[in-house]
Amino acid sequence: MAFAASPAITDSPVAEAVLSVRDVHIRDQVTGREIVHGISFELEPGKVVGIVGESGSGKTLTCRAALGILPDQLEVYAGSITLAGHDIAELSVKQWTGLRGSTISAVFQDPSSYLNPSIQVGPQIAEVIRVKKKVRRREARDQVLQLLRSVRLRNPESVYSQYTYELSGGMLQRVLIAAAIAADPKVLIADEATTALDVIVQAEILDLLADLRERTGLALVVVAHDLAVVAQLCDEVLVIRQGEVVEHGTTADVLYRPRHEYTKLLISEHEQYGLDRFLDAPQRERA
Amino acid sequence: MIRRVLALPAGRIAVGTLSAIVLLAIFGSALAPHNPLATTSAQLRHVSGGHLLGTDYLGRDTLSRLLAGSRASIVGAIEVALIAFFVGAIPGILSVYLGRVFEWLTLRLVDTLIALPFLLVAVAVTALLGNGMTVALLVVGVLLGPGFYRISRAAALTVARSQYVEAAQISGASLSWIVRSHVVSKVLPPISVTMASTVGTGFVVVSSLSFLGIGVQPPAPTWGGMLSSDLNYLSYQPWAPVAPALLIIATVWACNLLADAIRDVSGDAGRVFVSARAKRPLAQGGA
Amino acid sequence: MASEETGHSVTVAMVRHAYRTLLKNLARPIAIFVPVFFVATFATFLLRALSGLNPARTQLGQAATPVEINRLEASYGLDRGFFAQYGSWLSGVLHGNLGRSWSDGYPVSTLIRDGLTISLTVATLALIIGVTFGLILGALAAVRRTTWIDRGITSFLSVISVIPAFVIGIVLVEVVAVELKLLPSAGFIPFSQGFWPWLSHLLLPALALSFGCMSSVARQLRAGLIGAFRENYVIGAIVRGLSPRRIFFRHVLRNGVGPALAVLGLEFPALIGGSVIVETIFALAGFGQFAYTSAQTGDVPAVQGVLVISIVLVVTFNLIVNLILGRIAPAAQRGV
Repeated sequence: MAFAASPAITDSPVAEAVLSVRDVHIRDQVTGREIVHGISFELEPGKVVGIVGESGSGKTLTCRAALGILPDQLEVYAGSITLAGHDIAELSVKQWTGLRGSTISAVFQDPSSYLNPSIQVGPQIAEVIRVKKKVRRREARDQVLQLLRSVRLRNPESVYSQYTYELSGGMLQRVLIAAAIAADPKVLIADEATTALDVIVQAEILDLLADLRERTGLALVVVAHDLAVVAQLCDEVLVIRQGEVVEHGTTADVLYRPRHEYTKLLISEHEQYGLDRFLDAPQRERA
Repeated sequence: MIRRVLALPAGRIAVGTLSAIVLLAIFGSALAPHNPLATTSAQLRHVSGGHLLGTDYLGRDTLSRLLAGSRASIVGAIEVALIAFFVGAIPGILSVYLGRVFEWLTLRLVDTLIALPFLLVAVAVTALLGNGMTVALLVVGVLLGPGFYRISRAAALTVARSQYVEAAQISGASLSWIVRSHVVSKVLPPISVTMASTVGTGFVVVSSLSFLGIGVQPPAPTWGGMLSSDLNYLSYQPWAPVAPALLIIATVWACNLLADAIRDVSGDAGRVFVSARAKRPLAQGGA
Repeated sequence: MASEETGHSVTVAMVRHAYRTLLKNLARPIAIFVPVFFVATFATFLLRALSGLNPARTQLGQAATPVEINRLEASYGLDRGFFAQYGSWLSGVLHGNLGRSWSDGYPVSTLIRDGLTISLTVATLALIIGVTFGLILGALAAVRRTTWIDRGITSFLSVISVIPAFVIGIVLVEVVAVELKLLPSAGFIPFSQGFWPWLSHLLLPALALSFGCMSSVARQLRAGLIGAFRENYVIGAIVRGLSPRRIFFRHVLRNGVGPALAVLGLEFPALIGGSVIVETIFALAGFGQFAYTSAQTGDVPAVQGVLVISIVLVVTFNLIVNLILGRIAPAAQRGV
């Protein structure tokens, strides 16, 4: 594929969307039930879009659709998803393989399950680099160590040769992020990536994502059921409920001037747990 | 349980086939049109009105030998399974209750029995001890014991660890009462599964032994023994092995089908312990 | 500079790691197998006492005088106590000396060697056939799961798994040797007389033995792979942009092959045991035939030798399987 190894932002001087999701409907082919009723958003290089909603609201399915990994019986039957200029409905298996990893990638909740338990984590990241960047073994290993350092793992040499069951949850999420960005994608989807982690580790991971975006111009889709996570990182927020977008706007708009009852509910629930702390933070960052 | 097994098509086929075979074993000799041991000058005859399945190399009627031979083949398999049950299940249950020394000893014995090349040992030991049917059945029964040992032990372990047995112990119930009332009820479904498949295996082994002339001695007819003599006259009677071979295959297949059907209807109780066994082969260190 | 240093420490860490896993993978099976070996040899030795046989009957016949019998028994060390006999026999076994045959006084180890070569060749061939076709069938069924290919393979496997080896052997002789005349039906030609004559005499016996192994491997592999395909790390690998082929071979196969390998450890004794049957059908003077004839003539040391050798074979094979399993799927070693 023709995608350069350099950060995406230099590719296009005009900020053109790398991922655009337009009025996507997803339904179950077997039962005919519609699960997602028209979700739209545009993601420009270096931007962060947040998707908030309770579990089962369709936020994960939307992301899976963008990655081309919907479960067998589900399909996108209306609307379109465009990824770096390609309509994903027309992609062949081969084209998908070329785009994933080097244009779009993802990290998930429960990071240990998304890594092969039988291979040390270092070689798994090196595999991505070798395959996607056509780099030789030795060179790939050096790049992996650099990556592990860039996701702020202490002692990358020892992490390199460890198996998933020997690492903690926070370390695994860093490893998973390193594997996801190993081939320099333009878009990273973080699907509940911090949900299972404790508060401090969660903050560190969010920091890391913000840092990556700053340094490499990576565009992020952050999926969470927690408004606080989104508030800390995103430029734009979608609030989804039962497959429908109930609120869509800049983070400040959604947090300060929520129009929909559901959003108001989410925020009021959070106020009891000290959301105010975060309400100022994005303001400062965005300025 | 029996009713639910019969509700399955596979269960009905299995039970039907096995009943037919058992009827054959009971009434086979009486139905035989000729004396199965009477030799005549009409040797290696083809299928005819007088001899529906032809005659063998001594002019004996094949159909009569097939019918008369069913009893030794079937009864042997059932006896073997019963011996295996007593040799395996009793120490298996007791291993949980009789302390560590007994447990260690029986576990090592079971490991050993599984590591033995089954048929070779059965042949060697039976022949050394005089080739007799009783010895053959005892030896095969002991060799098949580990299946029952492991399943009853696994069942007994889950019962022993469960709270209600502890409660029974605290309230002063005797050991034998606990074994009878709790353990036996838990053990029954997996034992039935093992029983059905052990009858199948036992049948193969007993047939193999009689094929080699061990156990039931010629000229007494058995299905395995008939195949053995057919082997020498294949160029004259290429179709001769078909009938005994089909009977043997049908019997084993029906036993396995029955085992599967019982496993299906007994749900967790049947499945858990069977899979517990499958997961602890010697190759994984027997853990 | 810096990268070389880190490279070195990575290598050190990896070597240390590999060494630790190797020890772990070896220690546990050995802890299991050592008692197995002693229990099995003791039981084997008990056979002599149980059988009540002695060399005098086989060598001297009924007309022997008590003096002759005593002298012969003493020459085999049978005049000593049970445990003294067991001790010296066991130390002999540990030194590779299996004792002398009761029928002709030759060392048992020499007598076993030729037959063992034939049987091991057949067993290895059967293992190769069984594992190759088992892996292909199992993988095919798993990749094309729930299609008619999967159903066809699954029913074929359930049919061949219930056919006893001696029935398969007879069918093969009948169809391939007698009717089609493609391969010889019996006998053995040494390798020195040419590759094809040698192989053609071993193919049918190996095929007859391989069916059980084939169906077990294929079923376990199918189940293992289907389980592995459902795992999240497959999605992880897809998202990282790895090709379906690479994902199957490097990620799914590696994690799904464990049960199929483990079942080999259970199937191997059956391969050795089945040699008795197969060698009878195909008239091979192998290990199984040796065991059968020795047992029929009451040659206790020869039978003991056969049993000891087969236990050693099974134990060794299981150790190898364990090591391979530990290398391929380290997680499997943690009782997963």
